[in-house]
Amino acid sequence: MKFHWFHLMPYPHLPDDFKEKYKSVWVDLPAGEVYDPVKGHQVYNDYLDQLEFAERVGFDGICVNEHHQNGYGLMPSPNLMAAALTRRTTNAKLVVLGNSVALYNPPIRVAEEMAMLDVMSGGRLVSGFPVGTGMDTAFCYGANPATLRDKYREGVELIVKAWKTRKPFAFNGKYTQLRYVNPWPVPMQTPHPPVWIPGGGSVETYEWCVNNDFLYAHLSYWGYENGRPVMDGFWETVDKLGGDRNPYRAGFLQFIGVAENDAEAEKLYAEPAEYFYNRCFHIAPQYYNPPGYTSIATMRQGLTGQVVKASQNLRGANVKWKDLIEAGCVVAGSPQTIVDRLNDMADKLHVGHVMLLCHYGNMSNETVYYNTQRFAREVIPKLRNRFSEYEDKWWPKSPLGEVQKPAPLSTAAE
Amino acid sequence: MKRETINLPGGASSQLRRGGEGETIVWLHGPHGLRDHDPVLAALTEHHDVVAPLAPGFNDLDEIYDIDTVHDLALHYDALFDALGLDRVTLVGHSFGAMIAAEYAAHYPRRVAKLALLSPFGLWRDDIPVADLFSVPYAAFNTMLWKSGKPSPEMSDPSDDPNDPVEKNVQLAQAMTTIAKFIWPIPDRNLRRRLPRVTAPTLVVMGADDKFVPAIYADEFVTEIRGAKAHIIPDAAHMAPYEKTEETFRILDSFLKK
Repeated sequence: MKFHWFHLMPYPHLPDDFKEKYKSVWVDLPAGEVYDPVKGHQVYNDYLDQLEFAERVGFDGICVNEHHQNGYGLMPSPNLMAAALTRRTTNAKLVVLGNSVALYNPPIRVAEEMAMLDVMSGGRLVSGFPVGTGMDTAFCYGANPATLRDKYREGVELIVKAWKTRKPFAFNGKYTQLRYVNPWPVPMQTPHPPVWIPGGGSVETYEWCVNNDFLYAHLSYWGYENGRPVMDGFWETVDKLGGDRNPYRAGFLQFIGVAENDAEAEKLYAEPAEYFYNRCFHIAPQYYNPPGYTSIATMRQGLTGQVVKASQNLRGANVKWKDLIEAGCVVAGSPQTIVDRLNDMADKLHVGHVMLLCHYGNMSNETVYYNTQRFAREVIPKLRNRFSEYEDKWWPKSPLGEVQKPAPLSTAAE
Repeated sequence: MKRETINLPGGASSQLRRGGEGETIVWLHGPHGLRDHDPVLAALTEHHDVVAPLAPGFNDLDEIYDIDTVHDLALHYDALFDALGLDRVTLVGHSFGAMIAAEYAAHYPRRVAKLALLSPFGLWRDDIPVADLFSVPYAAFNTMLWKSGKPSPEMSDPSDDPNDPVEKNVQLAQAMTTIAKFIWPIPDRNLRRRLPRVTAPTLVVMGADDKFVPAIYADEFVTEIRGAKAHIIPDAAHMAPYEKTEETFRILDSFLKK
């Protein structure tokens, strides 16, 4: 199994009466009223420190993502965060999960920036291509939800084709027409960095991932029991299309809270977890699912309905730690408890890539480091060999023995 | 009303309902599509031969895969009128259908005999913006459209088969996705600069309490279309033809008879 430290980069200074005072954490939360850039300076630096720390203690990957106009995640450009990380990390893979391709015109911009990251990092990039939430795409960026998915898929296919072709060609798409596709630089990895696709149970996405050998990542906040129907659907599609059940085809996301015991876990993690579910996830329902965002085939399959149902139980009401633990949203407790739960997750979901949230909500620096370090030292070693019989074909392969490190600042100044 | 499927050149087709006797008029429906017990459609058939095509997309989103713009929509309806042998058409449209009717009349002015726009949209003023239809979950769009916030019983159920909740949602999703395709994120596809091309006698009817498209937009249509007349129905919202059917028809009948 591989372990990736995922940062959502929430704004940690949302007021206590946030839920009563504001209608939604996303789309129309007044920026100048709620966001303080002076506090923001510290927030970004703390968060980058935490990602760098995750590399030092031995996480395989560090993950960033893209969201817009919100207090839930402060990375409108994950590529900027990843660029900062290329200079201060040498080993961890940079999992950019990712760029919402339909929002870039032309999508070649994404091919360029991701290739830059791959070259700068020495071939350490995982290129994630989410379609983007309804909030980010349709409401914040004005993307037409009726054509969003089609435009997204065309864009991803253009990017991958450009990375594979590496010489000029013409592209006459429905949404993008380019006479000369020839992006510089080309990625260091060949034929291209692994492609990871976040998915929430759309049938078309399953098939698309399997047919193109993209990794399918179910980034759920509702725990692995609730994630089962989605992952079962994925593996059934793998079988149907004749793929192998290699667990490294798939990823899953899990909130983590490592402590001495359950009581200490509650003491450390209840507040930041409740902050996340009650404030970061306080999203006006109309922004979730603009018309066209969920395909008709997916509606008829009914799976997303189940996912929505699972989440509805925990939305709206004032969510408490007890609910989160019972629903499995947060896996917390002693290292052994967490090892047992993650083994159970691996059995049930069959996923080789696990993305861990060791920071959430308004968690203090000290707690983040404690959680991260204990997970790396006391949990990872006990799970490391799971699935070792499989080859991970969805992981960066750098041609370099060692990456070039930045010159020390003092030397550069002389 | 009789149901028909009309085949169009290039492999497309159009579903429609037809009924009544008298002069032929074309009804272009609003966001609720075509319902079995639609009272406005029933009132129209009392004095007219009514051709009511279902907007492409409402029944199957694949139908609008190649209909990307309002220009493509105008071409679609032009092919349909050809297939029906309608040389000149009288168009009565409501809401989304009124936008299509206005676009058609601007694209093919010589082909339109009369134009009635009931609660039309398609124009935009920065100082009096059209409300965001999607600022409520789209499954709850009725709350914005009806004065009471609730649909009339005849128009409340999106499906002829109310027993299948999934298909009910599918129908609603198809309708709203189709509308979204042509108005997202702002219902302005430059109709304003095409409207002066319209030559047909034009009537604009709006509800005084329309929460979606402020009634003042009636003036905007009248300003851009030569000779157009506006009528504002008090105590009615975007669904004015349904909320005040009698008053709507008093005005509409006198316009169509002229």
